[in-house]
Amino acid sequence: MADDIVVLDHITKRFPRIVANDDISLSIKKGEIYALLGENGAGKSTLMSVLFGLYEPDEGRIFIRGKEVKITSPREASALNIGMVHQHFKLVSDQSVTENIILGIEPTVKKLGLFSKIDIKGARERIKKLSADFGLDVDPDAKIEDLPVSARQRVEILKMLYRDAEILIFDEPTAVLTPQEIESLLSVIKSLRDGGKTIVLITHKLDEIKKVADRCAILCRGKLVGVYDVDSISTQEMASLMVGYEYSDEVNKEEYTGGESILEVNNITLYNQDKVKVVDNVSFSVHKGEIVSIAGVAGNGQVELADVIAGMLTPSSGTIIYKGNDITDKTIRERTEAKIAYIPEDRQDVGLLLDYDLSVNLALKSYYHEPYCSKGILNPSEFRKNGEMLIKQYDIRSSEGCSTIVRSMSGGNQQKAIIAREISLDADLYIFVQPTRGLDVGAIKNIQERIIALRESGKAVLLISLELEEIMNLSDTIIVMYNGRIQAVKKRSEVTANEIGYYMMGAKHEA
Amino acid sequence: MKHKGYKKAIVRILGPGKAQYLRISLFCIFISLVAGSVLLLLLGKNPLEGYVSILQGAGFIPKARYAGHKSIFTDFMSLVNYTTPMIFASLSFAVAMRCGIFNINISGMMLFSGFIASITVGYSSIPAPFAQILVVLIAVVAGAFSGALIGWLKHRFNANEVVISIMFNYIVSYVISFFIQTMFINPTTRQSERVGDNAMLTGVDTMIGDLRMDVSYVFPLAIIAVILIGFMFSKTRIGFELKAVGMNHSASRYAGIRIGRSVIFSMALSGVLAGLAGVSYYLGTFASIQPRVVPSLGFDAIAVALLGNNNPLGCLLASFLVMTISNGTTYMSSRLGVLREIASLITGILLLFSACGGAFKALADKYKEELDNEIDGGESK
Repeated sequence: MADDIVVLDHITKRFPRIVANDDISLSIKKGEIYALLGENGAGKSTLMSVLFGLYEPDEGRIFIRGKEVKITSPREASALNIGMVHQHFKLVSDQSVTENIILGIEPTVKKLGLFSKIDIKGARERIKKLSADFGLDVDPDAKIEDLPVSARQRVEILKMLYRDAEILIFDEPTAVLTPQEIESLLSVIKSLRDGGKTIVLITHKLDEIKKVADRCAILCRGKLVGVYDVDSISTQEMASLMVGYEYSDEVNKEEYTGGESILEVNNITLYNQDKVKVVDNVSFSVHKGEIVSIAGVAGNGQVELADVIAGMLTPSSGTIIYKGNDITDKTIRERTEAKIAYIPEDRQDVGLLLDYDLSVNLALKSYYHEPYCSKGILNPSEFRKNGEMLIKQYDIRSSEGCSTIVRSMSGGNQQKAIIAREISLDADLYIFVQPTRGLDVGAIKNIQERIIALRESGKAVLLISLELEEIMNLSDTIIVMYNGRIQAVKKRSEVTANEIGYYMMGAKHEA
Repeated sequence: MKHKGYKKAIVRILGPGKAQYLRISLFCIFISLVAGSVLLLLLGKNPLEGYVSILQGAGFIPKARYAGHKSIFTDFMSLVNYTTPMIFASLSFAVAMRCGIFNINISGMMLFSGFIASITVGYSSIPAPFAQILVVLIAVVAGAFSGALIGWLKHRFNANEVVISIMFNYIVSYVISFFIQTMFINPTTRQSERVGDNAMLTGVDTMIGDLRMDVSYVFPLAIIAVILIGFMFSKTRIGFELKAVGMNHSASRYAGIRIGRSVIFSMALSGVLAGLAGVSYYLGTFASIQPRVVPSLGFDAIAVALLGNNNPLGCLLASFLVMTISNGTTYMSSRLGVLREIASLITGILLLFSACGGAFKALADKYKEELDNEIDGGESK
């Protein structure tokens, strides 16, 4: 077809142990937003890396604008006007936006007919114009390190546009963004399409596809399941095609009946290092058998509040009462021993010792007492025993079982390991911060079911999440935080997602 | 294709896999020996002869002839005597490094404990075994104190330990040289007065049978230290905590480990070992202190510990290796007629390459990755 700008013809890509792409054929029309949907490890990123020249396919052909091409490096992809925004940005943080964008293709002018000088002014003007044309709102003189994540992403987009990219590949662009930022990114993507660009969007978030994409290709375990017009398929259908089995959004749980109070947070205020009030006079309580969740846009003090309760941060004022005792000044270990479990936001830097093996990490909170340690001597066989049990029980997948170095495991399995460890502590209060962030649908469901199971067995759960859907699905009580303050406290049964959304934006104020 | 072969070879020799660190250390030793050979060849000497004479000087191979009351055994005992402080010092570095602290105050700690032990016990008339035991105890206390102080400053004020350590080296060196020059100076040697034999940790010119040799009394203590530190890191809770803190502060804190306590403990332990290095150096290998000089052994110990991959047994072996070359080159310089400075250069080359182990590892890991990618790409053709 004449208007197919990209045609992938029977692409197969094998890796030592798996077939990442199995005989995939796609054709992408000029000027459309084409979504690639699939779980983590379905082969979306591999397929686009083939198109971007990062991998060479084992079989199959690629046609760009009707001509067969061999793309062996990103440089060649770039020459074919293909650009990619990676999940992890590739920017020099102490240089300006302009300097980053022109890096590698610096335009030069001759001074006095002798010296060539980088034409930073001309580049700046061009970037300004591109930024205005597509509604990107980027200051060409700002330093990268001063920019928030969403702006850095827009710099990456500008980088592609500056290189005259026609085909723009976005690799899970919304994974790092807050809900508001996602909205604005999606509108940027739309305006890029309206400007005549062809967009490939790799994602596992269904609602985003519904919002912006024209067509979507669904991959499941390396195979192409099908290509659909987004208008003619429901998110439910997309989800079940993507996971390969019937997927239901609903999480079943009993109605909350009320129980005795486990955690009382009284007037907690916290200043950060820059003397900014990040948590402002927050009070609430969590009861047995109750899931209390804290909703809010990222950076409104929820994570700091969780750190305060877990003992990682010391509050500037206020008290924390746990099972009737004041634990405000207790150490982290004393809190662990009092049976508080904490699943931190940063699973790699806080929740795990990445260079230790799985068995050690699965006992990271109990390594110091019997049976793991007696009289100061560690007992490796007990670590292994506990590890093997949890690996089996929680289906933690790794290459070498107990002795796998945790760094080499996938994010989803790392998170499973943390959750397995914390649940095995048999605590009375569980604090979850973003437990399902960046995970695929199957893993998310698994973790959400575990959270519900904890509630059912009478534990108190405090859940902090940026995903409104998760909060609506799991909570009994919803607290909305905005600018460090509690904006609203609502029973789940008495509130809609829309209302919570309004509170999250700080719209309505209610004590 | 040729290019690829060279990368493959590097990956095979140094790449990831079994005993990678050991292979890298052995490679470092190998290339420094090669570099040393080139140096000797340039000077018109036979490198093989050079290395044989180094081994002869260090007491591993018999020399052609010996002076009266000397033999290969006395040479070896002298090597042991010289190596003892190095074992303590490299362990001292390794213990701190495992906890993520770069301790370059070992020289200062050595000087500090050596000085305190000299003026309290070294110039006293306490009878022999008690004086020596006292020297060791003083070293432990003085070392622990100075180490804990640095650890505390680091923890309490988040100060950079490298800067503190360098400053402490200067402070200790100048303050002690002030006291030596005003109170303890020997006008002929321009060094501090010799400490009494009662306090010496080395039996100088001890007669054993027909042989006259230097016997290090604390060498067994160094071996015990190697074993204990090794046991601590591999089997105990405290060792686990130190390593965890060295890897990742936030995860360790999350696990309930008290970071400050671990940092201070590891620096105190590092200090104890540096203190023992100090007394076995100033009241063992030597018997007096040269003012305004910090012992270079404290810095060499860093390279030695790196060569031993901060592993206690590795430190022991690396110490012996480095001191063998350092000791043996004295004999080599007289045998082959090269300058002593040239001979010391060979030790320097070894220390230099020892410190490069990390770079070799990074290179091999990079090549491995490149080759893996190429193999992936190659299959498609």
